[in-house]
Amino acid sequence: MTDIRIEVTGLHKSFGSLDVLRGIDFTTPRGTSTVLLGPSGSGKTTLLRSLNALDTPDSGVVRIDDVSVDFSALPPGKAGRAESARLRAQSGMVFQSHNLFPHRTVLQNLTEGPVVAQKRPLDEVVGEARTLLDQVGLADKADSYPHQLSGGQQQRVGIARALALKPRVVLFDEPTSALDPELVGEVLAVIKDLASEGWTTVIVTHEIRFAERVADQVLFLDGGVIVEHGTPGQVIGDPREERTRRFLRRVLDHG
Amino acid sequence: MRQVFRGAVLLLLLLIVVPAPANAQQEQPPLVRVGTEGTYPPFSFHDPGTQELTGYDIEVVKAIAAKAGWRLEFVETQWDAIFPALDASRIDLIANQVSRNPERAAKYGLSSTYTYSRGVIVRRTGDQRISSIADLRGKTTAQSSTSNWAKVARDAGANVEAVEGFAQAAALLQQGRVDAIVNDNIAVLDYLATTGSKDVEIAGDAGQSGSEQVLALRQADSALLSQADQAIAALKADGTLRGISQKYFKADVSVENGGAADLSEGRGPRSTWDVLASTAWPMFVGLVKVTIPLTALSFAIGLVLALLVALARISPYKVLSGLARAFISIIRGTPLLLQLFIVFYGLPQIGLKFPPFTAAVVAFSLNVAGYAAEVIRSAILSVPRGQFEAASTIGFGYAQTLRRIVLPQAARTAVPPLSNTLLSLLKDTSLGSVVLLTELFRESQLAAAESNEFLALYSFAGLYYWVICVALSAGQKRLETRLNRYVIA
Repeated sequence: MTDIRIEVTGLHKSFGSLDVLRGIDFTTPRGTSTVLLGPSGSGKTTLLRSLNALDTPDSGVVRIDDVSVDFSALPPGKAGRAESARLRAQSGMVFQSHNLFPHRTVLQNLTEGPVVAQKRPLDEVVGEARTLLDQVGLADKADSYPHQLSGGQQQRVGIARALALKPRVVLFDEPTSALDPELVGEVLAVIKDLASEGWTTVIVTHEIRFAERVADQVLFLDGGVIVEHGTPGQVIGDPREERTRRFLRRVLDHG
Repeated sequence: MRQVFRGAVLLLLLLIVVPAPANAQQEQPPLVRVGTEGTYPPFSFHDPGTQELTGYDIEVVKAIAAKAGWRLEFVETQWDAIFPALDASRIDLIANQVSRNPERAAKYGLSSTYTYSRGVIVRRTGDQRISSIADLRGKTTAQSSTSNWAKVARDAGANVEAVEGFAQAAALLQQGRVDAIVNDNIAVLDYLATTGSKDVEIAGDAGQSGSEQVLALRQADSALLSQADQAIAALKADGTLRGISQKYFKADVSVENGGAADLSEGRGPRSTWDVLASTAWPMFVGLVKVTIPLTALSFAIGLVLALLVALARISPYKVLSGLARAFISIIRGTPLLLQLFIVFYGLPQIGLKFPPFTAAVVAFSLNVAGYAAEVIRSAILSVPRGQFEAASTIGFGYAQTLRRIVLPQAARTAVPPLSNTLLSLLKDTSLGSVVLLTELFRESQLAAAESNEFLALYSFAGLYYWVICVALSAGQKRLETRLNRYVIA
């Protein structure tokens, strides 16, 4: 019997006349890594951003642990924003372009959320933050400002900032796409460690080889629907759908 | 700490919004606020030695007060603002050689006459085109636009160039910018004696009849008026008025045909250095006691308002953003001087009367808010969207995101344009001189009216402004360096 951490049911989202998500259903067991693959415009980033309500779906239900939001019944205005915020508090997010706070030191980037939003005691948070920085190999950078770090280091701080919130789920939005090729490896290594430590992660990426190694579950999206899903061996190793095969061929040729 | 700051801001707002309560003490003698120019020698001017307000009108009104049992408070303002100030109850009485005429008699309570004089026409020395009132037709004269002399000049067919006092008018005439001046015989004699000027001369009388000068009060203050009249009658009877007049004019102008005024001894011309030396300190006091506090307070309150307006402007609520847009448009679309006049002279007509300093703070801070709101809005919008998203993923609400993430970054963008706003504000406070504030610029005007040292005094006042601006610019540079520390390696 598996413990379901994320449950998504009937998710729809359109921007104007463009249907980006057309009925998405999936579940993620606790402590597993789910990788979202798909061509650009397939809706994978919108799906990821729906999981923490950065984008608000038109309808459908997202549940993370004990917090469940039915977007078709979301009240307007303040009440709706409060419900979205409750769902958002379940996850941490790592952005493609790190979005670190440039006016805060590395350590402050980590402590800001736990201390200010979660109102936890500063010394306890600082202790945990230093442990996390050590874990991502940046213990000596605690007092640096983000602009003093390399792209790969910045992204590792971004990951530590997400973990400092002690979230139920960690979301990654193309965490290596903005990096120089030689810096990709150090970031992927950190993400792989997380997966093996039991964090529940959802990752949007173009790194197929990385997906093969790290994913417990792969979802292949195209045109706003999940075309194919299964283990990496199934979806990447032996795809059943022509659309999946075409995508993999294209990406692997260029990769 | 934050609570203390909030409390202080609230208290400030309260002080500014709540008009000072009227003086309700019954026991003391009545307080009469006297409006006068302070720049119209020898009637109303500042003694160059002591800086005290003095002159014929000042001594007369003090003598009246002694007889009538009034306490006096002098309010100095330029002529064209005197009657509006009386209408708005900022003053109770005008003692500034107000000539009696039918229009004023119909609208105001005019006292009995305390000065008999005649108007004269002043021309550039040897200008034969102008020798009588008839020659003014089609010529240009320089006058305080609402004065009786301006009316005389207009009636004679002259174009009137509006000025703020006799000293300015004389300067314009000397420089050839106007053809003539119509003014009081005594004022002209004083000018000629004091400056020793040979560039202008009296061409002749302005019309047949002499003119009578009186105190002006609000018509409703009939009790005050009858006290004044009784006092004037008594002072004439006991010779006090004659004494004051003899002291200033060597003639008795308090009765008709009391002899020709002789001011040839004058108050004596002084060297430019003397004038500067005796004015430097009063200007510095005006700078420190009015200009700088006015600038600082208006800027601080203006910034807080500007932030609120900027947030309203970018809010998704249509009504709120519409109101903010309208406010910004009105503030930026109308002259600052007009805004100042609306607050100072306009609002009292609907019962909102502020003391001069408060009125100036209200007007200036609203003006700052209008300009700074656009600066702050664009600075907020220049913060990348990802910063807002990242803040929301670490659990921040709107206020937390704004205060801890967005505003510190927006500050970097906003500091240079806001510094411009501050520098403009510092210099714009010189407009406070028209709403009864004796700030730096007003001090230089007062001294210039008495001494005619326009170039030296205004340059010196400019030096004060410039020094403060240089200091502020240095402060801006340090602040920018500090805010840049996290973007420049």
